[in-house]
Order: sequence, then structure tokens, then C-alpha cells
Amino acid sequence: MRDNWIEPLVGAVVLIAAGVFLTYLLVAGDARPAPDGYSVTARFGQVGGLREGDDVRVAGVKVGRVERIALQPDTYLAVTYLEIAPQARLPRDSTARVTSDGLLGGTHVAIEPGADTAMLKAGGEIENTQGAVDLFGLIGQFINRPATAGEPAT
Amino acid sequence: MTPAAPELEWRGIRKILGGRTVLDGLDLSLAAGRSLVILGGSGQGKSVALKLALGLMRPDAGTVLFRGRSLPGLFNRRQSDLYRQSGVLFQGSALFDSLRIWEVVSFRLLHADNRPRARAREAAIEALAQVQLGPEVADLFPSELSGGMQKRVGLARAIIGAPRILFFDEPTTGLDPVTAASISRLIADQVTRLGCTAVTITHDLVSARTIADDIALLDGGRIAWQGGRADLDTVTDHRVRSMVEASLPTR
Amino acid sequence: MQQVALAPFTVVGRLVIGVCTIVGALSLFVGRTLLACFTPRWHGGQIARQVVSIGFLSLPVVGLTAIFTGAALALNIYTGGGRFNAEQIVPQIVALGITRELAPVLVALMLSGRVATTIAAEIGAMRATEQIDAMRTLSTDPFRFLVAPRVLAGVATLPVLTGVADILGIGGGWLVSSLSLGFNPEAYARSTVAFLEAWDIQSGLIKAAAFGFIVTAMGAFHGYRATGGARGVGHAATQAMVWSGVLIFATDYLMTSWFTQT
Repeated sequence: MRDNWIEPLVGAVVLIAAGVFLTYLLVAGDARPAPDGYSVTARFGQVGGLREGDDVRVAGVKVGRVERIALQPDTYLAVTYLEIAPQARLPRDSTARVTSDGLLGGTHVAIEPGADTAMLKAGGEIENTQGAVDLFGLIGQFINRPATAGEPAT
Repeated sequence: MTPAAPELEWRGIRKILGGRTVLDGLDLSLAAGRSLVILGGSGQGKSVALKLALGLMRPDAGTVLFRGRSLPGLFNRRQSDLYRQSGVLFQGSALFDSLRIWEVVSFRLLHADNRPRARAREAAIEALAQVQLGPEVADLFPSELSGGMQKRVGLARAIIGAPRILFFDEPTTGLDPVTAASISRLIADQVTRLGCTAVTITHDLVSARTIADDIALLDGGRIAWQGGRADLDTVTDHRVRSMVEASLPTR
Repeated sequence: MQQVALAPFTVVGRLVIGVCTIVGALSLFVGRTLLACFTPRWHGGQIARQVVSIGFLSLPVVGLTAIFTGAALALNIYTGGGRFNAEQIVPQIVALGITRELAPVLVALMLSGRVATTIAAEIGAMRATEQIDAMRTLSTDPFRFLVAPRVLAGVATLPVLTGVADILGIGGGWLVSSLSLGFNPEAYARSTVAFLEAWDIQSGLIKAAAFGFIVTAMGAFHGYRATGGARGVGHAATQAMVWSGVLIFATDYLMTSWFTQT
């Protein structure tokens, strides 16, 4: 019953607005990494709050993402598979650290490039790693530290 | 020569509605090609008898038979057969409000028989012509028509499939005498043209005279009198007599 | 005297029988509806009409609901997060709240007001004017022509509407956060996308499909059983909306607790 033209018009406006914002979200959030990146691994004693899909950054700039995290059964280390953009070549002695932007999120893998002239190849492994810092463990240790003479009890 | 099974038969029908026994031992049969009018005062159960035949209600006892086989049949098969071969004109016309007139008239063709829309529309316009409505009403909506025109549309919808049996539920009730007469005339003409069987429920005797071959009086939940159209003037049953006299013009 | 003594029992008995009767009638109705939905034949034209009527024409109300809800939610989460010095959590919580709970439930409630009542009134009016009887005599099953198209349309379009509400709800939060709460628009967008998991959105859409069934089935059920003219039709419309609402909340709780089991 096409008696009312304003309803379909508003409906179309709503759909268009939703489509536009969705596109913006996906572009600004850059949901998909470069399809022709290369994969490297890094093993950590503790990944903390790191999750699949989190950023891999060099100097704070995103160069890739965490594709997969798995537990290595014999060494009990967490193996992370990192998908790196092809333009980002990393020296073989780079260090990978699990760190975060703030208390409540933004966990990512920060890679500090090393000095080696040889670059990591696809399938290679970042040997130097530093796992996530257990912040609450540290705080707990500090709070529960037995009071020594001369220090005020907390 | 064994007579053919009656086209439609009510056998030993009992129906109780809201604690009241509306039909009590209804026995009535109708031969093919005949037009039966069921008369009765208001609230006597005429509509119920019709609805039972149409499978819109189920009897508490007894059966309705269509061409000798009892309804509804296994998986409603016989009821479906009856629907496919019948046309019904409801008391309030019961046109589908949200559809255009031609879609209402050709509803069966469009949705049950899957005919293409163009063919269905042509058939609808032909049917409308049969009830003396021009093609200009085809694209209107039911609410845009008068009561009399809606009745005609209902009739067009009923006859469009060239049905074997037609049912009319109080076709003239609520219409002015002129319109009522023209509707009765249309009904009689269509029944003759199609050569089909017809069952009409009414308390309008003038209409009954136009439409009927056979007449039955429903009183006290059963058939109290049966006869032909011509018998109306010579009937001795007092209930029929009083109906006949009430229908005559008063001075 | 005896009747007075029995009164409490008769009241309870009547209530229980009443509940059983209506639950029984509802079960039969749902059974017939499911049969009409999943077995041929289908009336494609009617399904298409209902998809437009239920889906497309509900977009304005869904859009408005979503944007304002997202914006208000962002403001509230900002206030709450501020108590932990954790205002930066607004994008994530807004996204989670919208996709998992608010979008499906609020869209369903808006539609129970708009769609359930309309369906109940349409079908109820048809029942009152013998149109449903007429349809049966025209060899067309009212369950396949009237009920199934509406139910199928409801189950199909509610998830789509919820998806639109997800986007616009997050958009509302983004808008108010960028304009009034000092968030960086791109950072907000990135936090949202990074945080959301597929299941957050999927669970909301599954809920929406269930709600779509509830809203349309309640409308059809009460319309089909409407009796007694205009008043009966109005009563059916009200009942449809009330029952929809209650069932939406109950189902939402059940599904949420099932989805959040660890």
C-alpha cells in the first residue's frame, strides 16, 4: 500500500546511514591485515592478556597482528603466530615484548628491532622475547610485603 | 434405475452451541442441479447448517455427505474436494480488505490454482460482468464500494471457477428491496447459467421465491416442512403460512 | 453454602484449567504454524509483502531507538568508568552492551508494539468479518497465506534490523563520545572493532531471530482467536503486545544465561 512515501524514504536514509558508519568502523578499525604478509613465530613464558587479533607494533606503529596463540605441550611456552606486513622487514635479533597501552586493554606485541643485517624470513622465529608483566602480582607482592623496621605498615 | 446419490446431504446432524441445542436431528438432502432454499426464523440454526456443510464447524453427531461420501474424509480430502468445486457468498460478503477487487474475485485462481496474474485479472473482469459490474471497479478496494456492490463482488468471486455447488448465506439481508431483488435475480440467473446445485439460507421469502426450486423450513433444530416453490401458496403448515403472509405487501 | 466453601478451590481450579487451555491452544497454534512454515506450499508474494512491511518499514523506529540508546549508554558508561578512572572503556562496553543485549531486546520491544498489534488487529478483523472462513472455502489455508508469511518475515527481518541497530547504536555512542566526551573518533572506532568478538554480534542476532518468532506468532495467535467484533479485535491487539513483551524478556534471560555459561 504505497500511500505514504515518507516511511520508505526514512527507511532508506537509515539503511544508508548504517552502511556509511559500518564502512567507517571497518576502515578506521582496519579490521583486515594485508593479505600478502609473512608469518613469524615468537614464544613467550607468559602472554598475559594478549589475544588473537591484537596488534603487532614497531615503535608504536601497527605492522601486523597476532594470528594464533597456542600452548606448546612439551615446553609449556605460549607460541604466538604473528602475521607481519610485507613492508616491515625485521632484523633476526629483534625482541618481542607483550605490553599494553593501559590498565584495561590495548595489549599488543611490541617488537624492538635489533642490529643484525640479516632479516627474519617467513616462518622464522623471534628468539628474544619478554612475556607479559603480571602487574597485579607485583602490586600484590608490594602490598603484602612484610613490614621491616623503620617503614610504615601499609 | 438407481437414483444418483444426492449432491449434498445432512444426515442426523446434532449441534450444540453455548449450551443450546441448535440443530437436533437435521435430515436434509439435495439433488444435483437443484436450488434449495432453507427458510427459518432468526436464530434457528440456518447459518450453522451451512457452516457444517462447509466444514467450518464440526457436528456433535451425524454426518454431512458430499456426493455420497462423508465429510471431512481422511486428511480432509473430501472437504478439500468440496472447496475446490464450490463457491460461497457470505453474509457480510467477506471481501479481503487489503486486496483490489479483481484480486478478491480471482483469489482462488491466483493463490490456489497459481494462474498467472494477467489471466486471473481477465477472468475476474468477466466474472464482474456477469454480476453487472463494469471493469472500472476492478482496481478499487472493497471499502470503496457500497453494500450492494460488495455483494455482487462476493457473488462474482463465488461463480468465477464455474463451481458445481453454490452456497448463499443470507444474500439479501441488510439490502434495500430494490437491491435485494436484483441480487436475487442475479443469483437465480447464475445458478441457471452454470447449471449447478445451490443452497441458500434466508428468511426473505421474496428472495426465496426468485431463487428456489425446493424449499425447506428449519424449525426446532430440524426440517419441519419441505416442498417446491409452487407449494408456498397452498401450504397448510402454519409456520410457513405465517412467513408467506408476512412477506406479502400490507395495505 | 457448599459453593462458598468450595470457592477457593474453584477459583484455583478455574485458573489452572484456563492456563492449561491457553497453553494447549498456543502449542497447537505454534505446531500448525511451524508446519505451514516448513512444508510446501508457500505464498511467496505474501512473504515478500510482509518482509517489506515488518522489516523495511520498521527501520525508522529502529534507527531512532538505536542511536539514542547508544548515545545514552555511552554517557552512562563514561560516568561509571570515571569512578574507576577507566573512562577509556566506553567504546568496548557500549559495543558489548548494544550487540549482546540492547539492540536485540529494544528492537524486539519496539516491534512488539508496532508489529504484534498490527498483525493481531489485521487477522482479528479478518476473523470477525468471516474473511478467514472465506479464505478456507477458496481452497487457501489461512495458516499458509496469513500466518506463515508473517512469522517467516519476522524471523528473517528481526536479525537484519538488529544488525542495523547494532551499527547505529555503536554509532550513537561514537557520536556522543567524539562530540562531548573528548574521545578521538578513530581511536574510538578502533577500540570498538578490536574488542568486539564475532560471538557478541552473533548471539545478539540469534536472540533477534527468536524474538522475531515471538512477536509475529503472538500477533497471529491472538488475532486468530479474536471474538466479538471491534472490542474483541482491540483486546486481541493488546494481548498480543503484552504477551510478546513478557515472552521477550523471559526468552532473553534464558538465552543470555545459556550464552554466558562458561
